[in-house]
Amino acid sequence: MPERNGSTRGRARTRRSRDGEAAAIAAVLRAHAEGDYKPRIDVKKLRDPVLAGLARDVNRAAEKADERGGEIAARMEAVRVGLDEAIDAMVRLVVEGDLSGTLRLAVSDATLTPLIAGVGQVMETLKRFVREIREAALQLSSSSAEVLAAATQNENSTSQQATAVHETTATMEELKGASHQIAENAQMVASIAEQTLSATRQGEGAIRAFMESMEKVRRNAVEVDEAIVKLSRRVERIGTVVEVIDEIADRSDLLALNAALEGAKAGEAGRGFSIVAAEMRRLAENVMESTREIKNLIGEIRESTHAAKEASDGNKRMAAEGERLGGAAMASVTGILTGAQGTSDAARLIHLATQQQRSATEQVVQSMAEIEEVTRQAQAGSRQATGAAAELARLAERLAAMVQRFKVE
Amino acid sequence: MSDGSRQLVLFQVGARVFAAVAADVRRIAGSLVEREEEAVAETALGRPWDARRGLVVGAPEGERTVLVDGVLGLRAVPDSEFQSLPRFASDILPTAALAGFAILDEVPTLVVDLPTLVREGEPGRGAGPREETRHHA
Repeated sequence: MPERNGSTRGRARTRRSRDGEAAAIAAVLRAHAEGDYKPRIDVKKLRDPVLAGLARDVNRAAEKADERGGEIAARMEAVRVGLDEAIDAMVRLVVEGDLSGTLRLAVSDATLTPLIAGVGQVMETLKRFVREIREAALQLSSSSAEVLAAATQNENSTSQQATAVHETTATMEELKGASHQIAENAQMVASIAEQTLSATRQGEGAIRAFMESMEKVRRNAVEVDEAIVKLSRRVERIGTVVEVIDEIADRSDLLALNAALEGAKAGEAGRGFSIVAAEMRRLAENVMESTREIKNLIGEIRESTHAAKEASDGNKRMAAEGERLGGAAMASVTGILTGAQGTSDAARLIHLATQQQRSATEQVVQSMAEIEEVTRQAQAGSRQATGAAAELARLAERLAAMVQRFKVE
Repeated sequence: MSDGSRQLVLFQVGARVFAAVAADVRRIAGSLVEREEEAVAETALGRPWDARRGLVVGAPEGERTVLVDGVLGLRAVPDSEFQSLPRFASDILPTAALAGFAILDEVPTLVVDLPTLVREGEPGRGAGPREETRHHA
C-alpha cells in the first residue's frame, strides 16, 4: 500500500505541474487573442513535452503573426500616408481650385490604385462639372442679365401701364359721371319732347275744335243771314201792308176832312156830321200815327237787320278767316307735330343710347377697375420678378465668381 | 155866319200854319191830283214840301187845287177873333191873298183868301197886292 500511495502522490504532482504550464500557455494565447503577439512561452520551463511542443508551436505562430502584423502595419502606414497625401492633395485642389493637374502620390501601394483612379475620376468629373457650371454660370449670368433687363423693362412698362390704366380709370370715372349726366339730360329731353308732343296733340285737337267751331259759326252766320233775309222780306211785306193801311188811313182822313168840310158848310144841320167826321179823322190820324210808329219801327228794324246783316256778313268773313287761319295753324301744328314726333323719337333713341352708353361705361369702369387691380398685381409681380432677376443676376455673378476660382485648363 | 163865327180850314205849307174860309174850299183832295194842270204848287205862301193835300177852289175856268203839305182840320172861330192886317203890313206884303189873321189857341194865324191866291198863282198874273181882292174881317 505505501507504494501505491507514493505513486499517487507523484501523479498528483505531475498533474499540478501540467496545469500550471497549460495555464501559462493559455495566458499567452489570451494575449495573442487580444492582438498582443509579444508574449512568448518559455519552453525550457515546460516539463511536459506535449505542452512544450504546443508552446513551441504557439511561439512560432506568434512569431509569424508578429512578423505578419509588422508587415500589415507597415502596409497600413503606407496606405495611411497615401490616403493622407490624396486627401491633402484633394483638399489643396479644392481649396486652391486648381483642377488642371493630376493626382501624384509618393506611395505606390497597389491598394491605393483604385483610390487614385477614383480620385482621378472624381477630379475629371469635377473638371467637367466645373466647366459645365462655368458655362452654365456664364449663360446664367447672361440670361439673368437679360431677364433682369426684361424684368426691369417689364416693370417700367407695367408701371407706365398702371399709370395709364389709373388715368384711364379716372377718365372713365369722369366719363361715367358725364354719361350719367347725359343719360339724365337725355331722359329729361325725352320727357320734355313727350310733353311737347302731347301739348302739340292737344293743340291740334284744340285747333280742330276751333275749326269745327268756326264751321259752326259760319253755318250759324249763314242761317242768321237767311233768317235776316226772311226777316227783311217780312218787314218789307209789313211795310207794304203798313203803306196800304197808311193809304187807307190817309184816304179816311181825307174823307173825314171832306165830311167835316161839308158839315161845316151845312151849318147847324151838319154839326152831327162834323162830329162824326172829326171822330173819323181822329181815328184816321191815330191810325196814321200808329202807321208812322210802325214805319219808324220798320225803319229801325231795317237798320237793325242791315246791321245784323253786316254783322252776319262780318261773322261769315271772320269765320272764313278763322277757318283759313285755323287751316294754316293746323298745317303749322301738323308740321310741329311731325317735328315733335321726330324729336320725341330721336330723344327716346338718344335716351336709350345714353342708357346703353351709361351701362357700357359702368361696365368699362368696372373692367378698368379690375384691370387696374390686375395691373397692380402685375406691377407687384413685376417688381418681385425684377427683384428675383436681380437676385438671380447676383447669384449668377457669385456663382461665376465661385466657379472662376477653379482652374480646369 | 149866322151864329157869329166862321168855319176855317187850317192847313200847313212848309212849317207854317194858315187858315182859309171853309166856304172857299169846295173839297179837299189827296196828294194825287187828277189833272195836273189844275194844281197850284207855287204860291205866295211858299212851295209845299211834299204836297200831300190839295184845297180845291172854284175858279172862272173851273176848279184849281192849291197844293199844301197837310190839312190840319176845321175850326169854328168867333168873328171877334178875326183881325185885319195892319195897313203897313198890307202895303209891304207881296200878295193880296192874305185877308187878315185869327187868334187860334192864342197864336195869330194868317187867314188866306184862296180864290185870290189861286188867281195870283195863275200864269200871266202878277203877284203884287191888289186892294180890290183883299178880304177884310
